[in-house]
Amino acid sequence: MALEVKIRVKNSLGIHTRPATAIVKLLHQTKSDVTFTHKRDTINAKSILSILMLALHKNDQIIIKVAGIDAPEVMEKLQKGFESCFGEN
Amino acid sequence: MYRVGQLVQKYEKSLSLRPVAGAFDLSKPIKIAEASRPGLALSGYLKGYVPKRILVFGKEEIDYLADLNSHERHERLEPLMTPFTPCAFIPNRPKPLPEMVALAKAKEIPLFRTDLSTMALLNKLTLILNDEFAPSSFCHGTLVEVFGLGVLIQGSSSVGKSETALGLLERRHRLVADDIIKVKRREGFLEGEGTELTRHIMEIRGIGIINIAHLYGAVCVRESKNIDIVVALEEWDDDHSYERVGLEEKSCDILNTHIPFYVLPVKPGRDVVLLLETIVLNHRLKQMGLNSAKEFTSKLRQAISEKKRT
Repeated sequence: MALEVKIRVKNSLGIHTRPATAIVKLLHQTKSDVTFTHKRDTINAKSILSILMLALHKNDQIIIKVAGIDAPEVMEKLQKGFESCFGEN
Repeated sequence: MYRVGQLVQKYEKSLSLRPVAGAFDLSKPIKIAEASRPGLALSGYLKGYVPKRILVFGKEEIDYLADLNSHERHERLEPLMTPFTPCAFIPNRPKPLPEMVALAKAKEIPLFRTDLSTMALLNKLTLILNDEFAPSSFCHGTLVEVFGLGVLIQGSSSVGKSETALGLLERRHRLVADDIIKVKRREGFLEGEGTELTRHIMEIRGIGIINIAHLYGAVCVRESKNIDIVVALEEWDDDHSYERVGLEEKSCDILNTHIPFYVLPVKPGRDVVLLLETIVLNHRLKQMGLNSAKEFTSKLRQAISEKKRT
């Protein structure tokens, strides 16, 4: 199963090391492939350096793509995480 | 979208650019990776003229325009200098014609002078534009230089790509980039490099983020490298039958370019660093025309046929 959702970064300091670590930890045990697309760049969301490379700041839009057997629950977790700014703000 | 400002910022010195008058709008997009001299179009023949190209007014064009009167100059230049023209260059340091400057201002076309000759500027611009507009993408993996060859190590998360790269650095090979590689397609080959932010940075589980250039020194890193082979690390699977002879040559496709591809199964007790070095050396040997597997097979065939005869 493949899912795709557009979201906007709400973290006031953007996606810096701490929220990026939270994303990677959240995806650590998942079986699905997860990618983030920002502008023209698509990266593997399970890699912390790749997420940091995007240097996402507040209000940047990204497209989350999740493909795999646990796609719905992974997408839900990610959406909740972005919504709650991964415990920041 | 590639903009004039990016071109100017990066190549201002190498193209020795100087803006002709005032501040121009450098946010204009360059949509076509081509620079052209107007030539015949200056005489009024506009069939096939592409306004989105970068304009270069060479010595002949300037001399031709200088022979015309002011009204004619404006008339000939106006259809060429359109709002779609990303920017225009005047090589050889001639004094820009006032009509050219006025049109550039009116249509907001950044106009630059340069000390380079027309052909030198065109050659440099072609190379620069080819480079900037080369098809590129990001790929996940670790790029290292091993015995002079660019090796892209791929594999699923936590299979040990970064750890293998660390082992290779220990043996004086070089890191280009870890985790995220920017791959550009050049003429017939691929080039990989790290991104500005994560260049020479590695993330090792249990340690965190480390800077290889600082830890191991400048000798263990390099900015970019051609991707010569791809090695996929994968967890050892007892049910999978792995390559035993090495006669079959696989390749993978990155940006429509075929790159030799090897699968390296990983399990405790297998020295991945040593095995990867062996793959690279064997690949180099093949490039030199020596294929150990094929050589062995032909020897074997000969031995069998000789046995039949006796």
